[in-house]
Amino acid sequence: MDLLIEIASPINDIVDQLGANDLPYAIPLHPNLVHFTIGLFAIGIAFDFAGAFYPLEKRVFRFLALPVTRTGFHDVGWYNVLACAVITFFTVAAGFYEMLLAVPLPGIRSVIGQNAIDTMLWHAIGGVALLLIIVAMTIWRGYQRFVWRKDLGRQVTWLYLGCGALILVIMGVHGSLGAWLASEFGVHITADQLLAAGADLQEVLP
Amino acid sequence: MLELLPPLNDKNLPWLDVIHPIVVHFVIAMALITVVFDFLGVLTKRRNLFEVSFWNLVVATVAIFVAIIFGQIEAGLANPYGASRDILNYHSTLGWSLAGVLGLLTGWRYVVRQKDPTSLPSGFLVIDAVLAVLVFCQVYLGDKLVWVYGLHTVPVVEAVRSGALS
Repeated sequence: MDLLIEIASPINDIVDQLGANDLPYAIPLHPNLVHFTIGLFAIGIAFDFAGAFYPLEKRVFRFLALPVTRTGFHDVGWYNVLACAVITFFTVAAGFYEMLLAVPLPGIRSVIGQNAIDTMLWHAIGGVALLLIIVAMTIWRGYQRFVWRKDLGRQVTWLYLGCGALILVIMGVHGSLGAWLASEFGVHITADQLLAAGADLQEVLP
Repeated sequence: MLELLPPLNDKNLPWLDVIHPIVVHFVIAMALITVVFDFLGVLTKRRNLFEVSFWNLVVATVAIFVAIIFGQIEAGLANPYGASRDILNYHSTLGWSLAGVLGLLTGWRYVVRQKDPTSLPSGFLVIDAVLAVLVFCQVYLGDKLVWVYGLHTVPVVEAVRSGALS
């Protein structure tokens, strides 16, 4: 917090309203919204894979006496990716708000040797890029569902599935940068910020 | 025997980062989106949304057991201090309870779906609401462990190892 006061910034105007974690509330919003972005996209792509390989699986499901349809799997793929696209706008918005208030611990490098500001900027650029990619994938998925492949059993092309798998790998790397912002750089973690300020956690944290 | 285990890093973990919060993406997102799609399915009368919510519920139920396995390992290595000990206990208890709730809900849903995939008993929506509330409480407890108490973060692990925190 002392670091913030030394720098001329509009954030100084609200500095007295922020908690020990540098936020006006106790729990950061962005990491909670991230659950939806990652979960919905990953499972959406996974179920489109299930729909694409349906001819191979249908014997297994018949053996299990579990009624499944190819359309059902593709419905999960479409609606999950659609929900992901909607929620990710909020994920990125919350991320930028919380990035503006971030005070990383000084003098630390992540496991790949990046300092805090580089990690944060890459995570921010990656976040905007992923939002655009997710929206583009959703539009692509919608065209496949309602126009290009509406009469075909396999609702998605192999190229769409390949792109989806590649994006999941990128999301994994991107998510790791975000995780390090918390676990290494202590961004918005009350205990880490208090320790850096020299407080005794046993006294100040209930 | 203990020396056969991998050494713990500066986050007190045998692996690079905490795995439990990664697996938990699939429990939180899939459980809550199940509830959303169930309600949307009833409100908009789009019956295929019940199929979407059913499969998301199945994924949430499978994922919660994986989340519990990693959660228990990482809880055991967490060195909780102060009130975070109680929070971790509540989080573990609620986590196992949620596995039961999700298991029962999936079982019920499976039976209903075998009879008619396009219908949903109205009582199911009540249990859906209960599930959503439980998930919110569980997320809040987990968030407190990470974002307030900083368990498995480098500065807190350092403080515990140096004896400044117990």
